Amino acid sequence: MRMDQTQRGWALAALAILVSSAVVYVFYDLDAPQGPRGGSMIGLTFGAVGFAFMIFSALLGARKRVPTWRVGRAQAWMRGHLWLGLLALPLILFHGGFHFGGTLTRVLMWLLMITVLSGVFGAGLQHYIPPVMTSDVRLETIYDEIGRVRTLLREEADRAVESLCGSLGLHKTSDQEGRRAGGFTALRTMAASAVPLRTSAAVSAGASAAVAAAPEIILLSAEESAPLRRFYLDEMRSFLERSKQRGQRLGDAAKASSVFTGLRTLLPAAAHATLADLEDICDEARQLTRQERLHHWLHGWLLLHIPLSLALILLGAIHAVMALRY
Amino acid sequence: MTTATTPVGFVDISLDGQPVRVPAGTSVFDAARVNGINIPTLCHLQNQTPVGVCRLCVVDTGARVLAASCVRPVEPGMKVVTNSEKVVNARKTLLELLMSDHPWPCARQQNSGDCELETLAKAAGASPSRFAKRTVARGKDDSSLAIAVDHDACILCDRCIRACDEVKSNFVLGRMGKGYSAGIAFDLNSPMGDSTCISCGECMVSCPTGALTNKSVVGTVIAAGPDAQGLEAEDLLQIPVFNGVSGTFLELNRGAIVKHRFRKDQIICREGEFGSTAYYILEGKAKVSISTPMAHVKTQGGAKGFFKRLTSTLVAREEDQREEEARDRTIPIDASVDLAYGNPVAELGPGDLFGEMTCMNFYPRSATVMAQSDVVAFEMLRNVLDIMLKNKTFRAQLDQTYRRRALENHLRGVPMFAGLSPEFIEHLKKSVELERYAPGQVIVQQGAPADSFYLVRIGFVKVSENYPGGELVLAYLSRGDYFGEIGLLGGGVRTATCTALDHVELVRISGDDFRDMVALFASVRIGLEAVAAERRAANQQRMHMVHNVPIDQFLSQGLMEAQSLLILDLQNCTRCDACVNACADAHDGITRLVRDGLRFDQYLVATSCRQCRDPLCMVGCPVGSIRRRNSLEVIIEDWCIGCGLCAQNCPYGNINLHPFEVLVDDPERTGRKKAAIRQKATSCDLCMNLKEPSCVYACPHDAAHRVDPRTFFATMLGQGSAK
Repeated sequence: MRMDQTQRGWALAALAILVSSAVVYVFYDLDAPQGPRGGSMIGLTFGAVGFAFMIFSALLGARKRVPTWRVGRAQAWMRGHLWLGLLALPLILFHGGFHFGGTLTRVLMWLLMITVLSGVFGAGLQHYIPPVMTSDVRLETIYDEIGRVRTLLREEADRAVESLCGSLGLHKTSDQEGRRAGGFTALRTMAASAVPLRTSAAVSAGASAAVAAAPEIILLSAEESAPLRRFYLDEMRSFLERSKQRGQRLGDAAKASSVFTGLRTLLPAAAHATLADLEDICDEARQLTRQERLHHWLHGWLLLHIPLSLALILLGAIHAVMALRY
Repeated sequence: MTTATTPVGFVDISLDGQPVRVPAGTSVFDAARVNGINIPTLCHLQNQTPVGVCRLCVVDTGARVLAASCVRPVEPGMKVVTNSEKVVNARKTLLELLMSDHPWPCARQQNSGDCELETLAKAAGASPSRFAKRTVARGKDDSSLAIAVDHDACILCDRCIRACDEVKSNFVLGRMGKGYSAGIAFDLNSPMGDSTCISCGECMVSCPTGALTNKSVVGTVIAAGPDAQGLEAEDLLQIPVFNGVSGTFLELNRGAIVKHRFRKDQIICREGEFGSTAYYILEGKAKVSISTPMAHVKTQGGAKGFFKRLTSTLVAREEDQREEEARDRTIPIDASVDLAYGNPVAELGPGDLFGEMTCMNFYPRSATVMAQSDVVAFEMLRNVLDIMLKNKTFRAQLDQTYRRRALENHLRGVPMFAGLSPEFIEHLKKSVELERYAPGQVIVQQGAPADSFYLVRIGFVKVSENYPGGELVLAYLSRGDYFGEIGLLGGGVRTATCTALDHVELVRISGDDFRDMVALFASVRIGLEAVAAERRAANQQRMHMVHNVPIDQFLSQGLMEAQSLLILDLQNCTRCDACVNACADAHDGITRLVRDGLRFDQYLVATSCRQCRDPLCMVGCPVGSIRRRNSLEVIIEDWCIGCGLCAQNCPYGNINLHPFEVLVDDPERTGRKKAAIRQKATSCDLCMNLKEPSCVYACPHDAAHRVDPRTFFATMLGQGSAK
């Protein structure tokens, strides 16, 4: 979620709550002869409100499980989660009078701080990464589809290379027609363009407009195609299969560009269009790797944040019951 | 060498040293043939006038140059040598020249190994040719369903032209062009499929090379079985509907037509199934019906309470009447009859053809056909049906059946024509013309004089208007729709171009009849004028829009065509898929959106119904159940048979098929029901019964929005340009 002008209302409200709580806490601290205590009325109030904020924040997960329920827009829940969750930390600190207490409360305090900090970190990532992903990964696809798209790319590259070098005996895993798979994978050929419209005006001598143009097939000799074959089998194919592996020349846009420039000087002009295709394929594979990495950053922090939140709620509830009962 | 003993009317000549006597006027070629001497030729056939264009039959008559034997009559005392070294060398050179301009092996040689040119060239040692090949292809014409034309393989022998003109008197084929660019042409150089060719096949059987070959349909043979009998050409020619069809052509298409015997209650074809054949009933009666429930998908719940999940159910229009739902229209199917909404059942009998659209355009079957009594029917593939449809006898019979049984229903199916008097309908039955158009053929041209009114009987018609930047599609019309009224009611000039998108059949009402109709029936006039005004206004609005949004990317992504877009602001979107999950949750687990699509600026146009102004999804619906409301919102009528063609046609992948469990008649046990899965097409319904679409409501990051692209993007781009 972007931290922009739209957050202003929530930010001001949170600030107001924080300031008023701080004022209350200062007076309370000055008035209390034994210092602020969690068991006092004001301390309990800070604790209850702070815990309520935590519960509300945790309920966002539950809210997401029932997206069609009309219990407030998810956007409002998310903003509440961010700001009230953030407020929970000072309120709980006020509740404990900035003391960490016994073992359970100490654990709780650390859990709370780590949870809030991980949340702040996550919010920061969700603010910065989406624009980066939008600009860096132009051929973004659905995350779960990345593996399949990679397979399609490799098959497309196999076909392109074999169209120049002849059969290389590369294993075919899919019968699907080669189509650049990134970007809009669901986009299909416009039905209208599939309709064979014929215009007699365009008919040239002896031919009708329903002429089927045969693709130009240029097969290089073994000698001519050797550099391409070597490059593809030794480097590019392994890059397409394991593009996440670091240290590969094709994994770096500048180095990849110089590799392809070098290849162009070694291959006849007829092969340059195919080389351009291969370069595009490498670029797309790089983008998919970038997307994966950014995706992991975008969502990976939740692996820490969510379990800690659940533990915090559970232990917080235990602490509340024990403190009130005993 | 004619002597006193030579009878009158005969000529004596020497043929390769042998004295022979032949009737005067005989060609050297024929003289040699009757005397057992074979002279090779390519352009000459015994049943055609000799033209001597291939020059392969050259012989040495002792003259300065060699003579083409097929056109050279014998002369008294002529000494003919047919196989001297000079003659053989001349033929070899000719064959090499012809082979240099001929694909090797050509289609015919590949299929049946009997290309006459290649056979002769091989025998003469002239293959491969030592001359340079042609560098510019002359092309192929794939437009005919029955015959493939490969201009590259044509040697300009004119056998096809003479077959068409002299043998069949059809006068469709001719020569066009000069010199190197010369070739054969159909009519005024139309593609064969659009020409007046009747696919008799005579040209094809006359062609010596692979220039005109029989076009096999994929899976060209219909499976024969105990109840399906393959038919020989001789048997077919005994049947009146095959009068005039070339026996050779039928022979070549053996297996593309079979005679079926269906027992009572046997299913002939099922709705929604894809197929490639049509049926013509010879004997017996069949019931045609739609068994998919007459209902539409309704998503309910949520609005009534916080904790009620949304569920999608099938409801008929009696239970849930939607705005602008078709009330009076009958259900168009791929047969000579229409079905009623309340009771979608009709009867077919001898002489009825059904499955024409499936066969010609590969659309799914529109209805289930079951034998009511024992039925005998022809099942045929596309090439045979095409031949039959071009056969005047068969065509006349079909047209007569249509005029007798369906035209009235068809006319009355158009609400504004419901008030026509029976007398006028009778008049129209006789006076209307039934016309056919091939895919891509222009029916009326923008700017041309308006002289007729058209009612769509079969197929889809694209209505488009030219504007300075290109062509703007205004509408797609299907069975039951009509066009041509604006031109007739207005200035007498066509305001748009109408083009056949597929195999189209139209009912043409002449301008005179149309004027009589609007003069006699006020309701028709008022209705047509209202529709014309509405269409004019809509067209103007669209044209206005085209001129006001001249942004290439906006146009190329089809965004201008959309009325409502689900866009995701990629600067905000964390790719959490909450929108997709919400959509799935709102529609029984079947999402109607995919978080993937084209990008425009920082927005992702998600895969979700755009309510296009150019709704390609509607093209091909075999029962016409997907259409637009006047608000241009897509509505799927109750009689959707769940064939999935609309989902296939939507270029944006925005239509889904939603499965429902329903009870249907058990075909194996009469009177019993069994559970079956029936699908209904669905697209984004904007969660109409909720205040806000679920996807937008569930987005926690303020990234998902449903917007009108014209206002949303135009404002944004306007601001951009202002800066």
